[in-house]
Amino acid sequence: MKFRAKINDVGCLNHFTRVVNTITKLTKTCVLRLTVDNMYFVLSGKVANGGVSMWCELLQVNFFEEYQLEGVSADANEICLEVAPENLSRALKTAQNAKSVKIKLTKKHGPCLTLAAELPSLSSINRIVTHDIPVDIIPKRLWHDFKEPTVPDFDVSIYLPPLKTMKSVVDRMKNLSNYLVVEANMNGEMNLKIETDLVSVTTHFKDLGNPPWGDNASQSQSQSRDAEAMAHARVDIRKLQQFLMGQQVNPNKSMCNIVDKRIIHLILLQEDVSLQYFIPAVA
Amino acid sequence: MPLSTQSQPENDEYILIASLDNVRNLSNILKAISFKDHAIFNATQNGLKVTVEDSKCLQANAFIQADIFQEFTLKEDVVGFQVNLTVLLDCLTIFGGSTVPGVMTALKMCYNGYGYPLTLFLEEGGVVTVCKINTQEPEEPLDFDFCSTNVTNKVILQSDSLKEAFSELDMTSEILQLTMSPSHPYFRLSTFGNSGNAHYDYPKDSEMMELFQCTKTQTNRYKMSLLKPSTKALALSCKVSVRTDSRGFLSLQYLVRNDDGQICFVEYYCCPDEEADEE
Amino acid sequence: MDCVTTGGNVKVLAKAIHSLSKIGEELYLEPVEDGLTLRAVNSSRSAFACFLLSPLFFQRYQAPSDHAFRCKMPIKSMQAVFRSLSSLERSVEKCRIELNSEKNRLTVTLHCKHGLLKTHNLSFQDCESLQAVFDKENCANVLRAQPRLWVDTVLHFPPSLEEVNVSVNGERVWLRNHLEDDADPSRAMMTELCLSAEEFDHFAVRSESNITFCLKELRGLLVFAESSGLPVSMHFDEPGSPVVLSVSDSVLDANFVLATLSEDAHQRNHNNNKADRREAQPAADDFMSDDMDSYLIAMEASDLPGDLPGPSHESVPPVPQSSTNHRARLPSEEEEEEEEEQVNQPPNKKFCSLFFGSVLPASSQLTNQTIQGQEVLASDSDDEKQEE
Repeated sequence: MKFRAKINDVGCLNHFTRVVNTITKLTKTCVLRLTVDNMYFVLSGKVANGGVSMWCELLQVNFFEEYQLEGVSADANEICLEVAPENLSRALKTAQNAKSVKIKLTKKHGPCLTLAAELPSLSSINRIVTHDIPVDIIPKRLWHDFKEPTVPDFDVSIYLPPLKTMKSVVDRMKNLSNYLVVEANMNGEMNLKIETDLVSVTTHFKDLGNPPWGDNASQSQSQSRDAEAMAHARVDIRKLQQFLMGQQVNPNKSMCNIVDKRIIHLILLQEDVSLQYFIPAVA
Repeated sequence: MPLSTQSQPENDEYILIASLDNVRNLSNILKAISFKDHAIFNATQNGLKVTVEDSKCLQANAFIQADIFQEFTLKEDVVGFQVNLTVLLDCLTIFGGSTVPGVMTALKMCYNGYGYPLTLFLEEGGVVTVCKINTQEPEEPLDFDFCSTNVTNKVILQSDSLKEAFSELDMTSEILQLTMSPSHPYFRLSTFGNSGNAHYDYPKDSEMMELFQCTKTQTNRYKMSLLKPSTKALALSCKVSVRTDSRGFLSLQYLVRNDDGQICFVEYYCCPDEEADEE
Repeated sequence: MDCVTTGGNVKVLAKAIHSLSKIGEELYLEPVEDGLTLRAVNSSRSAFACFLLSPLFFQRYQAPSDHAFRCKMPIKSMQAVFRSLSSLERSVEKCRIELNSEKNRLTVTLHCKHGLLKTHNLSFQDCESLQAVFDKENCANVLRAQPRLWVDTVLHFPPSLEEVNVSVNGERVWLRNHLEDDADPSRAMMTELCLSAEEFDHFAVRSESNITFCLKELRGLLVFAESSGLPVSMHFDEPGSPVVLSVSDSVLDANFVLATLSEDAHQRNHNNNKADRREAQPAADDFMSDDMDSYLIAMEASDLPGDLPGPSHESVPPVPQSSTNHRARLPSEEEEEEEEEQVNQPPNKKFCSLFFGSVLPASSQLTNQTIQGQEVLASDSDDEKQEE
């Protein structure tokens, strides 16, 4: 089992740092799954984290100059690690103006992801900073917990409004209530609602558009739906706020699938990164 | 303004309608008096007066004249109600209260009379938020009976000079002592804290002093905890008028310029600390 | 006492006080013929800091000629006077510090723009002189660098990190985070920074050594050094003897004296580091080269935790907890002090507070406060009480 990767380009380094920072805002620990083509940050929806799950996928070739992987075995050519993204984020922060950054799997006191950065210095000799980030290696028999989630059989799929606007609204609503209702229809309309003894607030977004899902998605169901009919889910407002707060990737596309009264599924897409986030509905 | 008016009362049912192109012209000035949840709203043909009180010793009033609003329609001579100011401010800033030029949140505020909620329609970039805030019957605000004919001493200062002093005040001091006098030290702020005492003296001929009318040496003490909220108003203002009357009551009037350069006023009244005489 | 300082020096004074506030809770102030001394010590007496502002630093400087005056006060109260550095720069034209003996107050007056006058009458307590005993001139190793280098170095370590380990040889310096005794090394993120001697203005290493000290005080000094742009020197010897960080120019001197972890406590933590380094470090230069196979682990995921130690790794000799030799104290003292000191003592006592000849009677102070040899360093914290 071997892994090493290297970033030489400052743009790639910044991009990778932003992705890791985003993950850091979403969870204390997650699984880093390394395959030949991709790097994944995975959180599976356990009760301990409020049932939230996350799936973030990076196309390695767009980030790393070098990328070598030797997985657990020839037929399972991948590695699964449990890591605290905050550590990774902190290590990358100190490597911000690095000439190059190398990430490898090493054995120190225990298994580590070692991040070594070559920093500019006042002399001809570079400064070298290395961070040994402790990780747990996840045995193959537990991998099934970290498979890519299937797109749920949603009732409504809709593009999200500008995330900045949505964040402002959710931030204020969070001051007023603990729960928020997200509702949307196939006519490009989405509402965020809270209601308490003191106040009711509804923010109406419209003309958002509904993403065209291929034949294989649960399109049949949503197409047969009355375009005006709202699907809705009541969620813990902190979970949604967390998602909007940590967001640093500036997606080209962001969308939301709603399974009525069950779950909201948020998707952010960039050329080389995708982030999916699942928030379960509460009664 | 593309407001969704589904199941809302028609415009002619409201007894108060007030609209603003820029909600900051209201939210900012309300922030200057937001130290307690309960706010008493009083609308007359002149405009809107919002009052917040604490411990029967402190009263803050914000005045937003009718002509600040793009629309200000009142069906009765006086319309009064009470709402939770913290909630109202969260609603008014629902879109973040952006200060980016050209990005403005428009507001239409409607009230239908006793027993109805205060309804806000906010719109920014085509997105509409509708808020309904429960109202209560207004309490009668305290009358501090602060009358300009009884004013003993008065100074007008540029706010910047007081901002610095207020940001540095020794908060371990329970009181702020204010000395105003026709002779030295003219205008003095004093604190008496754990580590000793401090005096801030403003000479009467300073450029920061726009008006100096002190007739009699007066030293009064005010509870620091009561005066602390007034720093919010100070921060927003460009000038402040400090007056005391013969009873030692303090009036602080802040001149606040809004985004459009219009002028609004915020006023704080504070009772002197009762123990002052004993010390 | 009556001192007046103007212009940019007011900010220097403010920064010095701010920097001392990172060390201790109290400010010890003593005007002497050589200038105004400002000192602080931390609660466990393992760190001491002293600024000497020479008479030339001031526009006017009068030390009390007839009698020795010294006092201490909560550092917060002095800090409050200089709270807003931006307003200091913008508006303070002159600062005067004088002793009002009748009222028993130290008066600090700030003369600001537009005629605003801020007068702070601070209460103080009389105290004995606070003095650490150290001898930086005879330290085997001296490193001096621009504040920027130190700041950039410290930035790699998280603000929560208490102690840092520094090791040197003739060409390089390594800094690592020091793990608390109870920390599990396999769960902690370890950071190591390697700097070349070339980056330093002055790099004199007579004996390869490896010391561990608190980062907080170094950060405190950097607050000052960065704003004044003055280079910071670090003088040190073997583990257990103090490290001295200093900054100076023609009108001021600052020395921060910090205890270092004693040898055996130290070895437990860094033995293997040292070993690691000796073997692994030659590769450091070509660390980024491609020959990394020796660093990679080969293990089966199911066989965790790994049974194949890495080639460059030496296992840590187990050290029984009982061998703790942090602080040589007599058991009887321990008991007596328990009650009074518990509050002040930081949770870990591994840093000796031994290097203080701290509080001597005033008369003997002046003669004894000159630099003394290491062997007399063992003043105990009993002395703390005398001072009250």
